[in-house]
Order: sequence, then C-alpha cells, then structure tokens
Amino acid sequence: MQAVKSFFDTFLLTELLKGMKLTGKHLFEAKYTLEYPEEKAPQSPRFRGLHALRRYPNGEERCIACKLCEAVCPALAITIESEQRDDGTRRTTRYDIDLFKCIYCGFCEESCPVDSIVETRIHEYHFEQRGEQIIRKPELLAMGEKYEAQLAEDRMADAPYR
Amino acid sequence: MSAVVENTEKVSIEIDGQTVEVPKGASIIAVADELGIDIPRFCYHSKLSAPANCRMCLVDVEMGGRPVPKPLPACITTVAEGMVVRTASERALKAQQGVMEFLLINHPLDCPICDQGGECELQDLALGYGRSVSRFVERKRVVKDENLGPLIATEMTRCIHCTRCVRFLDEIAGTSELGAMHRGEHTEIGTLVGDGVHSELSGNIIDLCPVGALTSRPYRFTARAWEMTSHAGIAPHDCLGSNIELHQLRGRIKRVVPRDNEAINECWISDRDRFSYEGVVSEDRLLAPLLREGNQWHEVDWQTALEAVANALRDTVDAHGADAVGCLISPSATTEEMALHSLLMRALGSDNIDTRLQRADFRDGTSTEGFPGLETAFSKLDSQDVVLLIGAYPRHEQPLLNHRLRKAALAGGKVLAINPCGFDWNFDLAQQAIAHVGELPAVLAAVARVVAREKGTTEPAALAAWKAPTTVSSETIEKLAVIVAGEGKKTILLGALAEGHPAGAELRYLGALIAELSGAGYGALTPGANSAGAWLAGALPDRRADGSAANGLDAKAMLSDPRKAYVLHGLEPDHDLQDPQLAEQAFAAAEHVIAFSSWDTPALRQQASILLPLAAFGETAGTFVNANGHWQIFGGVGQPLGEARPGWRVLRVLGNILETPGFDYEAPDQIHAEVKAQAGEAAVARPSIENALTPLDASADMQRVGILGLYGVDALSRHAPSLQATDQAQPAEVVLNPADEVVKGLSEGDKVSVTQSAASQTFIVRFDNRVPVGSFWLPGGLENTAGLGPMNGPATLVAAGTSA
Amino acid sequence: MSGTAEPIEAGLTEQERAEIDAWLTRFPDSPEGKRSAVIPALHIVQHNSGGWLPRARMDAVAEYLELAPTRVYEVATFYGMFDVEPVGRHKVNICTNISCMLRGSNEIVAYAEKKLGIRLGETTSDGRITLKREEECLAACAGAPMMLVDEVYYTELTPEKIDQILDELE
Repeated sequence: MQAVKSFFDTFLLTELLKGMKLTGKHLFEAKYTLEYPEEKAPQSPRFRGLHALRRYPNGEERCIACKLCEAVCPALAITIESEQRDDGTRRTTRYDIDLFKCIYCGFCEESCPVDSIVETRIHEYHFEQRGEQIIRKPELLAMGEKYEAQLAEDRMADAPYR
Repeated sequence: MSAVVENTEKVSIEIDGQTVEVPKGASIIAVADELGIDIPRFCYHSKLSAPANCRMCLVDVEMGGRPVPKPLPACITTVAEGMVVRTASERALKAQQGVMEFLLINHPLDCPICDQGGECELQDLALGYGRSVSRFVERKRVVKDENLGPLIATEMTRCIHCTRCVRFLDEIAGTSELGAMHRGEHTEIGTLVGDGVHSELSGNIIDLCPVGALTSRPYRFTARAWEMTSHAGIAPHDCLGSNIELHQLRGRIKRVVPRDNEAINECWISDRDRFSYEGVVSEDRLLAPLLREGNQWHEVDWQTALEAVANALRDTVDAHGADAVGCLISPSATTEEMALHSLLMRALGSDNIDTRLQRADFRDGTSTEGFPGLETAFSKLDSQDVVLLIGAYPRHEQPLLNHRLRKAALAGGKVLAINPCGFDWNFDLAQQAIAHVGELPAVLAAVARVVAREKGTTEPAALAAWKAPTTVSSETIEKLAVIVAGEGKKTILLGALAEGHPAGAELRYLGALIAELSGAGYGALTPGANSAGAWLAGALPDRRADGSAANGLDAKAMLSDPRKAYVLHGLEPDHDLQDPQLAEQAFAAAEHVIAFSSWDTPALRQQASILLPLAAFGETAGTFVNANGHWQIFGGVGQPLGEARPGWRVLRVLGNILETPGFDYEAPDQIHAEVKAQAGEAAVARPSIENALTPLDASADMQRVGILGLYGVDALSRHAPSLQATDQAQPAEVVLNPADEVVKGLSEGDKVSVTQSAASQTFIVRFDNRVPVGSFWLPGGLENTAGLGPMNGPATLVAAGTSA
Repeated sequence: MSGTAEPIEAGLTEQERAEIDAWLTRFPDSPEGKRSAVIPALHIVQHNSGGWLPRARMDAVAEYLELAPTRVYEVATFYGMFDVEPVGRHKVNICTNISCMLRGSNEIVAYAEKKLGIRLGETTSDGRITLKREEECLAACAGAPMMLVDEVYYTELTPEKIDQILDELE
C-alpha cells in the first residue's frame, strides 16, 4: 500500500504542491520582518540595554555605594569608589561600567536595594575612541535623568512580579 | 580563653552527643568553642566577662537525667559532672530564634549603607535564625548619635546592647568611658556627658561591636568587607611588633585590624597601630627624588639622584676621610634596611652609624652579649608578682604592654614605678617614687642598697658614689625596695624616660644591678619597632653585623662633633632626635645631608640636600625583631606612591653604583637570611654591671622631662590625620609644679617661653603636683615642640604673658 | 527640696558625706559594697541639688564611692526617680500604671497637662512644676488614681483635687 501511495505521490508532485501551498499561505499573511531602523520591535519593560543611574524625584542620587552591584557582577564590569559626603551620607566618588566587559545580565539591577542602577531600553550605541566604552558616573546619571519617565514606568510595570 | 579553663580538675559532660572531659568551672560556650561546636552569641567574648545579656546563646541543658526547665545561656552556665548539653535541639533553636526576633525588632534595615555589612555578626546570625519577614509593624526606635572622637564613628540606632564596648573599656582599657544609660527599650550606650572615648586602645571596640553601631571613622564608607584582600603585617610603632592584618583594595590600605597572637598582642591592637596607616596616603608624601641647588629644589629621576648621592659620599670620603660620614637610622626601619646601611657605611670605611636617636647617655656603649629587650616574655608579664618600672610610661610607649601590666596589677601583682613625674595610670601602682629627674640614679642606688640589705648580700662598693636622694622620702624607697627584694616572679623594666635620661647609662647600670641583687628579670622597653634588629644588623657604631667590635661615633657624638656628610633614614630631624637643636646645627654645617624619607617636611627641605622618597609602612617588605627577640617578617601590600621605592632596593642600587661588593640581593629574604645566619643564637642581654659608672653632675636650674607623644613617636603616626585630631596629639603644654619658683605670678593658661640653647618656643602652662619642683614636663614629637633642644635636659623658662 | 535649678557647689558637703557614710556602714566594706551605696547617695545628693543631679554632683558621688563616673551615670539614668536634666521646683508624678489607669489616670494626666500647658516630661516655663513622664506604680493602688508631688502622696484624685493641689505649689 505504501509503495502504491509513494508511486502516485512521485507522479503527481503532491509534495511539491504542499510546499507551494505553505509558501502561498505566507505570501498573503501579515509579515514578521521589520524594516529596521524605520520600524522597531516592541520591547519588554524588562529590556536590558544601556545602564543608567537614577535619582529620586527631589534630585538626590539614589546610589548609596553599597557595592552590591559591583560584587554581583559576573563580568567584573563595575568599579566603584566611595566616601562619606559632607552631609554624612554614603556616596560614590566613582562609578564606572566597562561596556566591553558587561554581558547585560541585569544582575546589577536585580541586586540594587534602592533601584539606582538600572538598564534602560537603549540598545543602539557605539564608540569611536578607545576608552569610550567605560561610562562614568556623570554620564550614567545623565542617562537616568533623560529617561527617568520611561524608567519609572518600566519599574512600575514590573513591580507586581518582584 | 579565660583563666578558669586552665583548671586541672576535670568533669565529664555530653555536648551534642560527644562525651568530653572538660576543665571544671569552664562555661559551656568556651567548651563548645574548643570543640568547634558553634553556639550563636553577641555579648560573649572570650577576653571579657560574660554578662549574659544578649541571650542568643541559649542551649538546652539536662542535669542528672532531668531537663532544666528553661534553656540556659551557655556563656555563664558552667559545666558540671554528668551535664548533657544540646546546642541545636528544637527547644534551643526555638529559643535562639525568639531572641533573634526581638533583637531585630529595633535594628534598622540599613545594611547596604552600613560599614559592618558583610562582616556583621547580626547579619550572619539573622540569616541562620531570623524570620524572613518581620512581624513587628510598630515604629522602630531611633537613637541620637554621640560624638566619640575622631577615631570612632557611631550609629547608635544599630546598637543591640551587647555591652562588649562597655566591658572592654571597663575591663581591658580601664577607662570606663562608656556605659549603658537609661533602661529597657530606652537603653543607650554612651557617655551621657558627651566626653567621648579617649583610651589609647579605643579602636578595639570597633572590632568588638557585633553590629555596625561602632565603626572606624577614617575607614567610613570607603570600602566593603568582601572586596578587600587581607595581608599579614607587623605594626611599626613599638617594640612589641603587634600582629596586624592590612586590608587592601586596589593597592591602597583601607584599614588595619588585629591578628591574633597570644604571645604578643592577644587579639587587640592600639589605636596607633590601627589608624597610623592614614599616614601612608598623607598629602605630605615625598613622591620623587629631590636635589637641592642653592635654595631651589629640583625633581630628578632615581638614577640622577643616586649618582648624586654616590658622588656626595665619594667626595666626602676623598676630601675628609671616611670618618666624616655619619648615618642616622630610625629605630623603626626594617632589619634589611639597617643591614644594608651598615654594610654600605662599613664599605665606605666609616663606623659612624646609629639607630639610638633618643638616647642621651652613651657611656655604657653596646652590649656584645645580645640585643636590648625584655628577658621576660610579653605573655608572662601578666603573671608577674612584681614589676618595677624605671623611667617608663608604657601606656604611651607600648600600650599593649601596659595592658599586660594592668592584668598583672589586677591579678594582685605589684607594679612599682620610679619616674621623674607622675602619670595617668589605668591601674593602681603598688608604690611609686617620683623624683626630680636629676636624682633618678640616686633613687635607684638607694633602692639597690635596701635590696642588698634585704637580701643579705654585701652592698656593692660602687653604690657609694651616689648620694642619698632628697626629693623622695626614705620611707617610700624602703617600701618600694622591700617589695622588689621580696619573693615571686619579678621584672624590672626601663622605658623611654630612662633611654632619654641625661644619665641614662647610670639608670641602666643600676637597673641591672637591682635585677641582679633581687633576682628579677631585666627588660628594656626599646624605642621604635626594631631596636633589636638594629643590634643584629650591626647598625650601631660599636658593633658590626658579624659581631666584630668597632669604634664609630654614636648618635650624639656624630652631632656634637659635626660630620661633613650625613645619611638620614626614615627620621624627621626636628622630632625624632633627642636634641633636634643640636642636629639642626650639625646639619647646617655639613656639606651633604642625604635623607631617605617617606614624607616631605619643611624641616627636611631646610636641613637636607638630597631627598630620596622611601616606600612607607605597608609598601615595603622586611623584618622587625621585637623586644622578645621574635623575628617577624612582613610583605609589601601595595605599590609605593609616586616614585617612592622600598629602602632595601634603593640601597642595593646605591651599593652597586658605589661598587660595593656583595650588593646583589634580589629579595629582602636574602638580606634577612644573611643577618640571621650572622646573628646565630643571639638573644636578649642585660647591660653589663662589671664596670661601675660614676655619677654625672646633673645640677641645672630647670630640667625639661619628656618622651615622644603617644601619636608623635614616628613620622608615620605624625602624618596620620585622624590620630593627629585626637586629644592626645593636641599641642604640647608645659606642665609645672605649682610650688615651683618660676611659676610665681603665673597662672594656668598663661604663656611661658622655653629656651634650650638657640631654640625658643612658647607654650601654655598647666599645673600638676606630680611634676617635681625644678623640672617641667614637655613631651616631644608634637607640632609645637619641633626643633627644640634635648627632650630631657636643661631649659630656661620665662613668662611670656597671658593667653587672653 | 531646696527649690532652685541652679547647680549647687560641685563637691559633697560634710552633712552629705556623713549621710552617705551612714549608708556605707550597712554594706560590706568592699568595692562592691561601696557600689551598693550609689542609690542612697544619689538620693541624698539630688535632694540637696534642686531635685536633679548635675554632672559635677554625680562625679562627686563617684569620687567619694571610688567608682568610675560612668557607673554612677548608669544608675542615675536607670531609675525614674533620678533626674539628670534640670527640673522645676516641684516634681509631679501621676501614676499611669494599671490600677490608676483603670480608675481614670489618663483623664487626670490630660487634665493636668491642659491645666499646666505642658506635656508629660516637660517643665512649666516659670520653672514651677515638672510633670514626670511614664510614672510607674507607686504602691498606692488602694487610693487610685494617685500621684506623688515631691515627696507627698495624694490619692483618689479628681480634676478639682488636681486644681487645688497644683495651685498650692509655690
């Protein structure tokens, strides 16, 4: 029986037609391909892109130099130095992230007790000079300021699951 | 471990299923610690009394087959025959968890900003015994912080009232500065009156605090416990050589903590050992070699600098002979540096090398038998029956040796002192003789006479040379000498005031004589960290490293009979010498003054002609030999700052430039091994009593008496900002007897000018009955005493107006 | 009560020494025994120092009993009947423990606070009266609610009685 079916299949090109059918179906369906960069894929609130340091609404930087992110970082990409600020609070004097080392695992964000170090949705960036891959505290804070609205919204969206 | 555990009587107990024989009277927790069974605890510490106030060590106990109705605290429950202890039974665990829940009720959740985070006993035990979510929903209590001084930061809201700090200051430091104020939930650890903590051992309460309530102020917020690497080190300030751990992050020392060594520092260190590391990164660090041309200083590279040094030394030797070169080394330099300096000087043909910068009297030369130090082991000092201190204030000189003496005194031992003035002891002296500084030898001779009489031996004829003292009553001498002549374990210790005494040789001679007559051990509390190493390395004018005798000029002769060229190593000429004024004159007259220094100071700039940057504490490897003769090797921790280099490396290259044979060392261990091979079995030796000394005429109108201040003993501590901010490092004051002739018309707080040869300086006056008439107390090593004349010697006092 | 908040002379008077000595005879002649006399000694000194314990006076007690001053401060702060801060000329202690509370001490406290215009733990601006905070059971439950004014007990308090007692204080 199998032999007979196989004979007719060969003769009538049924397999070819099956393939053509699939192709034809996709020809008229909605497309998956995005015309990047004009079109962009939707991002999850948990997207892990370039880093930023956030501030509190009153302008005070959140980071308290607990160095948990530095300790948890599996790629040793974070370097922190800290001291007592004049007002007696614990603050960083240096917060460097080496983006060549960083593997964007998000552990730093996970470990942060004050939601200071976060990963933004930015994934399109480049460096032109050697050394530029190390982003420092002022840049990180500037990133935080610039994207605060989005960052806050994303943290809120994720809050029920944390 | 506490003394009780040394009981020889044993009882048999069962602890967690193990049946063991343990000393009667030991606490359950001590026994468990010995066996490696972990019982959680906060308030218990093996060196302190057990108050049982944290209740964390509750364990299940069964006696005679019947369980004790409630869990018992393991720290105050002593073992008894047939006792069965279960440290981890369900009931014990439940009790411990309950205690933990109460402890956490008021403890803030600020671990991320707490310096104790990561090494916190509460954090660790909370992980094991705490609930994941607190049931306490009420407000937590908040406690106002108190300023305890520049060394200790407080965050009293975190306090769990274990009272370790209170007990430490009460039992170990003897200052009782902290207490548990108020009661119940309102209990606050503090001073109530806001006086702060001033003990010279105060830093230990930082280590003792199981939480982050007491933390180090200089270290505050600069690193986390887990990111630093720990390196074994040796404290460079006193002749104990306390064992320490240097915690380093990215090549910089972040803090210093004690390393347990029962033979030396037990588990404590002094504040000086703990906080002096700040001097390493001081702004005053010398970062590059400097050459002076006229009045201009030029930064040069090492090659140029060392060639300049070599040329200076060669020129001097060629023009004036080798004897025109002199070398003065800090007694806290490493043995390796001392050995290389010694070799270099001897290769040049000069024996003018010395490390005894504070000594004033060199009549007794150097012992050929062995190095100066203590015959009695540090660990045996606690159990001495009699300790006689001569010209010594160990509380400032060797704070942890003082702790041993305190232990001896508390255990019923008699600590006696013969001093040129009274001090603030933290224990009771059994008997004290305060004599005018000029009469100290006479007092010792009088004591020796009584000791000889008590012992029934003939009075040594040499004693007749000293007259009977007039400033100490014969009753006092009698009482003191009878104790010295009595039975028991006895030690005689000579301190910095004897070292710097104008007739110090007589004190050493008479001290050794009393030791001989009374059968006591003899000990010199040597200056610096490495006076013994200096003897072994031959950095002395009359002893070379191979033991052969020499006849060079000592530290004093080198300055009073000026040389053409000086090599200075690790010292600040305006502070570290007994007579900075004499040194300044000698250096001004010299053609070359080559200074190896870690710090760049105005005095060095003024007095030196070449400055070579030396690696500081923690940046160089080396060896210290302490006063008990322990050779303690330590490694370098971080890269030296700037162009500074370890002394032994610099000297090695200098030796090569000078074409000195045998300077091919590649590591400090080679130098160490060489010194050790030559030293052989060398041990501590007491001064010879064969050649009697004749008394000096010490009649002067007014005598200055002093030792280097607690935080002014060496360049490192003088450059440590936090130590310098303490009360002990405040500007020196002249302390006078109110009955003294010169104070007529003066009142406390007035100004008085002190003149010693060409130097003059104005100080505030304070009165104290414990300073004998005809002398005044003025320490050295402090900012306002720089450049004065001899710390122990004549001076003129003139009123200089009121301070207001 | 001498009726002044001014610190008295620092040292102990002859009279005070004699009184403390009388207490010392009741305890063993040892450092621990001397320590036992801290409470009576502080009572004596507080009585003569305007109702509170200035630091100098506590230090004098410490010196006399050969104790570290801190040990004396600990005792002085532990017990509610010692005050280490200046107080008014009269100390009013309204009991708030259970028996008095059941008999309405809360209303009495509220009334006294309103009348004097101060809260518990405060002193009137004229320095006349201090309302002590959290006064515990004074062992006069039979007459609850009660209060202790200086060294006199007043029981069965009512707002009228409070008026009368407080108004009579100088």
